[in-house]
Amino acid sequence: MRTNLLKGARAPKDNESRFLLDVARRDLPGEDTMRRYRTDDEVDLVVVGAGAGGSVLAQRLARRGWRVVILEAGPFWHPDDDWVSDEAGSHDLYWTQKRVIGGDDPIELGKNNSGRGVGGSMIHYAGYTPRFHPSDFETLRRDGVGADWPITYADLRDHYVQVERELPVAGQNWPWGDPHSYPFSPHAVSGAASITWKGALACGIEMRVGPVGIVNGTFGNRPHCIYRGYCLQGCKVNAKASPYVTHLPDALAHGVEVRAGSMAVRVEIDDATGLARGVTYIDEEHGKERYQRARVVAVCAYSIESPRLLLNSISQRFPHGLCNTEDQVGRYVMVQGATQTAGRYPDEVRMYKAPLPEVSSEVFYETDESRGFARGFSIQTIAPLPIGWAEHVLAAGHWGRAMREYMRDYNHWSTVGVLNELLAQPDNRVTLADECDQYGTPVARFDYTLCDNDKANMAFSANVIHGIVIASGAQDVLTIRRFAHLIGGCRMGTSPEDSVVSADHQSWAVANLFVADGSVCPTQGSANPALTIMALASRLAQRLGSRKVDPSGGSASRLAPVSGSNRR
Amino acid sequence: MARDLSKPDHLPNLRPGREPPHSSWLPLQRRGTTPQMIGRYPDYDVFDAAGSWDDATAKVVNARLHMPADLHFFSAGEVATLRAFCDVCVAQDGEPRVPVVEMIDEKLAAGRLDGYQYADMPDDRDTWHVVLAGLDEVAEGRYGKATFAACDPDTQEAIVALLAKAQLSGGSWDSLNVKRAWSVCMRMILAAFYSHPWAWNEIGFGGPAYPQGYMRLGPMAVREPHEKPEATKEDPVSVISQDGT
Repeated sequence: MRTNLLKGARAPKDNESRFLLDVARRDLPGEDTMRRYRTDDEVDLVVVGAGAGGSVLAQRLARRGWRVVILEAGPFWHPDDDWVSDEAGSHDLYWTQKRVIGGDDPIELGKNNSGRGVGGSMIHYAGYTPRFHPSDFETLRRDGVGADWPITYADLRDHYVQVERELPVAGQNWPWGDPHSYPFSPHAVSGAASITWKGALACGIEMRVGPVGIVNGTFGNRPHCIYRGYCLQGCKVNAKASPYVTHLPDALAHGVEVRAGSMAVRVEIDDATGLARGVTYIDEEHGKERYQRARVVAVCAYSIESPRLLLNSISQRFPHGLCNTEDQVGRYVMVQGATQTAGRYPDEVRMYKAPLPEVSSEVFYETDESRGFARGFSIQTIAPLPIGWAEHVLAAGHWGRAMREYMRDYNHWSTVGVLNELLAQPDNRVTLADECDQYGTPVARFDYTLCDNDKANMAFSANVIHGIVIASGAQDVLTIRRFAHLIGGCRMGTSPEDSVVSADHQSWAVANLFVADGSVCPTQGSANPALTIMALASRLAQRLGSRKVDPSGGSASRLAPVSGSNRR
Repeated sequence: MARDLSKPDHLPNLRPGREPPHSSWLPLQRRGTTPQMIGRYPDYDVFDAAGSWDDATAKVVNARLHMPADLHFFSAGEVATLRAFCDVCVAQDGEPRVPVVEMIDEKLAAGRLDGYQYADMPDDRDTWHVVLAGLDEVAEGRYGKATFAACDPDTQEAIVALLAKAQLSGGSWDSLNVKRAWSVCMRMILAAFYSHPWAWNEIGFGGPAYPQGYMRLGPMAVREPHEKPEATKEDPVSVISQDGT
């Protein structure tokens, strides 16, 4: 059935990135010959952030002839020299500028969920690329929790298919959510992951291999994964998908300028028209403030920095922050519960080999009332490297001699984790802290507190994976509680009273200001967000490019949108 | 009698008081270097594969073998307590030591922090100063010693145990959240210790694998040619005689 015969053979349309990459070098081809715009050129689009959302948006619109500049705070990577097969040596991949975390359950940021540099957080994500389920787009209607999106799964389906071909995604046929297949065959399963899989089978829990954005076979000039295990440290192989290899080569070939070392500090508003006229940023190399003019502005800096940029963009019309007249910017930020359970086995397992993401299950994804809470979780195998494993052992309460003993036992352990859908809450929010960065811009503060449904979900899922690890024959078990991923902060909705942007990512307040990153998602299900962020940007690009959405602000109506109108 | 490593009876969770066995059950390293020359892989040296590492990685890893001895972030008055504290946290009770102190000092001096600060905590750099001062206060107040470093190893371990359980208060400890302070310090100590190739030898980690990659993923075979099997301290003669074979 389906299209198994075509595995590894179906090519994405309108994206030549895989052929533009160099076989022998890892630098982004085209950097030397990249088009450069003057700051007083009014480009068609300035994008803030060269990550999953911004890169896809730029690549798509450049192909339609738009003149695009991407401002990226972090460095322009040269992976052969900048990236290493080493945990501690990869510190620069993460957003390590100061942020303040608070609330009852503060969320650790940095390497846990925040990237910096050309390619964004996907440079150091594990590689899991599941789709959201159709139910994720209507959790309020179905389950009475979270929020309903102003779009449905059907609006994204074609973009999921396209992005899965571009990454390309490898995995078994997927039975959960909207059943679908993947363009590449599943990867080999490591000994470590197969232990978890065996345990799950013994518990009657179905798991499948994938889905991961990691080349299995070859893909243009991108080679097969070499199973070295450093997925979180930047893929020096070019096997793991990130915008750096999947969209930016094609974007550069179509005239996009990626201006790295450019920290956006303000979206400038023309007080006469109420439209955005460009972005002010710090040129880090010269320590100077500069201003790029643009016809359209897209903020794609993710759940912490996008709200921070809007809140810091003060103008006459927006004294409380851009698009924040209704006090919605920065609200409803979500993370996922990511409890991890490790089991000890008689034989050597050596979990550091093979892609870190291997086998997963979405059996528990949707609401089951018998569990006593709304929504659910997914299960995914993972494989911490030594520092990650040490943090696991520490979180389980061991240090000193006990720590050394557990660490020496590293090769006997295998690890499985969950991703809990945690619910959107207005007070889980990004605000501005009292403290400023070195340029005098207030840093972000992120407060997070779990609700009872979240706690019940996390407790239930921890029991499930504990059961899997026991059933797989573990002799000792270490379980820790942690969190992963970011979503929300500038969510899309149907009215400015409960959202920041419309179904077309267009800010309610400024017609030519768009937000195209993970911050627009009203819910995040139990799926890793990367694929969905790319699919959303792909959809927005299609709508902007085909003039389904008007950024000109021609009718002043945008400034006072009709409350509750559904603009789908 | 050598331990059977397929059994988990050396793991703290399965032992009385969650105490690990004394490290004398471990073999001395025969090849390469491990911290305190103990480990589970006496014939394994991650540097056997170093010829296959890419240049950028080799540079970063090799630099850890040659850490500059002089400190820039911590004051001379803090160093003794800092060394004693780091030794206890990762049980380094003898040479050769992973230069945890030097690695942390370099990181803090360069301002390479983790990218988040708890709202009820000072900057990570200030946290370190407060913790070291706090450790000396406990040593003096509860044990009558001038500094933490002047306490005997058991006392030092007892004090750190209180810190790990967030059971310290008064003086410096009231200026921060003790539980989080423990986590701030340990994150940095562990990242230093387990980034060092000597620690990889101790735990049998295969190390950097680019551009070579790993081929033997299991379940049939899990060892590459440069990876070596684990062993315990055993006298083959006595093992054989005890087994009666």
